[in-house]
Amino acid sequence: MRNIALMPVTIGYAARLVAAAMLLALTACTTPDIASVEEPAAVPMTGQTNDPAPGFENVKVGSEEDFILNVGRRIYFAQDSAALDSVAKATLDSQAAWLNSNPNWLLKLQGFADDSGSASTMETLSQKRADAAMVYLASKGVDAGRMWAKGYGMDREVRDCEDRSCKVQNRRVVVNLRTQRDGV
Amino acid sequence: MVGTRRDILLGGLALLGVGAIQKPAFAVASSNFAGTAVDNGVTFQKTNFAKIDRKWHRQVVKYFSSEPIGTVVVDTRHHFLYVIMENKTAIRYGVGVGREGFKWFGRATIDAKSLWPRWTPPPEMRKRHPELPEFVDGGSPKNPLGPRAMYLHRDGVDTGYRFHGTLEPGSIGKDASSGCIRMFNEDAIDLYQRCPIGTAVQVLPHIADQAEKATQVSQASPVE
Repeated sequence: MRNIALMPVTIGYAARLVAAAMLLALTACTTPDIASVEEPAAVPMTGQTNDPAPGFENVKVGSEEDFILNVGRRIYFAQDSAALDSVAKATLDSQAAWLNSNPNWLLKLQGFADDSGSASTMETLSQKRADAAMVYLASKGVDAGRMWAKGYGMDREVRDCEDRSCKVQNRRVVVNLRTQRDGV
Repeated sequence: MVGTRRDILLGGLALLGVGAIQKPAFAVASSNFAGTAVDNGVTFQKTNFAKIDRKWHRQVVKYFSSEPIGTVVVDTRHHFLYVIMENKTAIRYGVGVGREGFKWFGRATIDAKSLWPRWTPPPEMRKRHPELPEFVDGGSPKNPLGPRAMYLHRDGVDTGYRFHGTLEPGSIGKDASSGCIRMFNEDAIDLYQRCPIGTAVQVLPHIADQAEKATQVSQASPVE
């Protein structure tokens, strides 16, 4: 969103229209840029679509970029459930294999929920999801001492949303690689 | 590979059918594979990415169009599929799309997905290609869906279109299919992991950011 000012100004009418539309959408938008909260400090993006994302120009084996591109950080859940389905387990299996070959990384498992219940119910659910992922990774040999889990309830939704496609995005656990533990 | 006579016959038929649709070039195809991998008990040929233009490799790119996080966006003209991520980034995959007359655009959701799916050629396709079998078993080396299929529905109704793997890595980046979006098998497996049921899909002629460039790109010539 804050990238609008940084967009290349050379482009033509169509792009200006798009920029104008985005600006309109912005002014109508009152929710903060929530998605960025779950990420380590986001650098304002310049350049153009299809340029390599920062850090992804040459992805090194064992790097965080390698993990994002070749393993994936997210697993998803059914509504009101903290059960790991076969797809979630497949991703966790890949994550465990990667983490076991790259033992220096710590990981924070962040659980999230949509808005299918009260704030406290959702917080409990999101914590259960993060815990379930952590227990599963531990069962696959990832040292429990490297991991910690936190549920964010519906505090940090990917987007503030009504439709189904949006809600599924919020029923998730994100594995964030860390080099040190969170400060208290 | 040892197969029953029926398997061989079926495989041959399927190959014929696929050939009619996709024009296999065996010499090229063989160099596009290297080694094997096992997925869910099925051994398959790995894509030889060393032989594939880096442009079509899975990569994380900047993405400035406005689709929300988690959406899958297909830029048909440029043969890219994006999964939108946070902070103006996306995972980009090279894809093969429908040849002329078989393109389609619109919104859908991924409402079903499967591992090593059986392929049942739709009736219209069998009308065009009567030599096609009724179905090809999942996991068959002749099954054009490859290791994964994601079924695109709109308002609860199957559009008939899917994201799936391919028998022909060389067709990625081309207009070659009957409308389905095909991907390297490794990428179909990867995308399957990243798209929960309910994922929003937008199949566009081209993404908004690429509007100007799109007019300059000459139409890729359809295979066949």
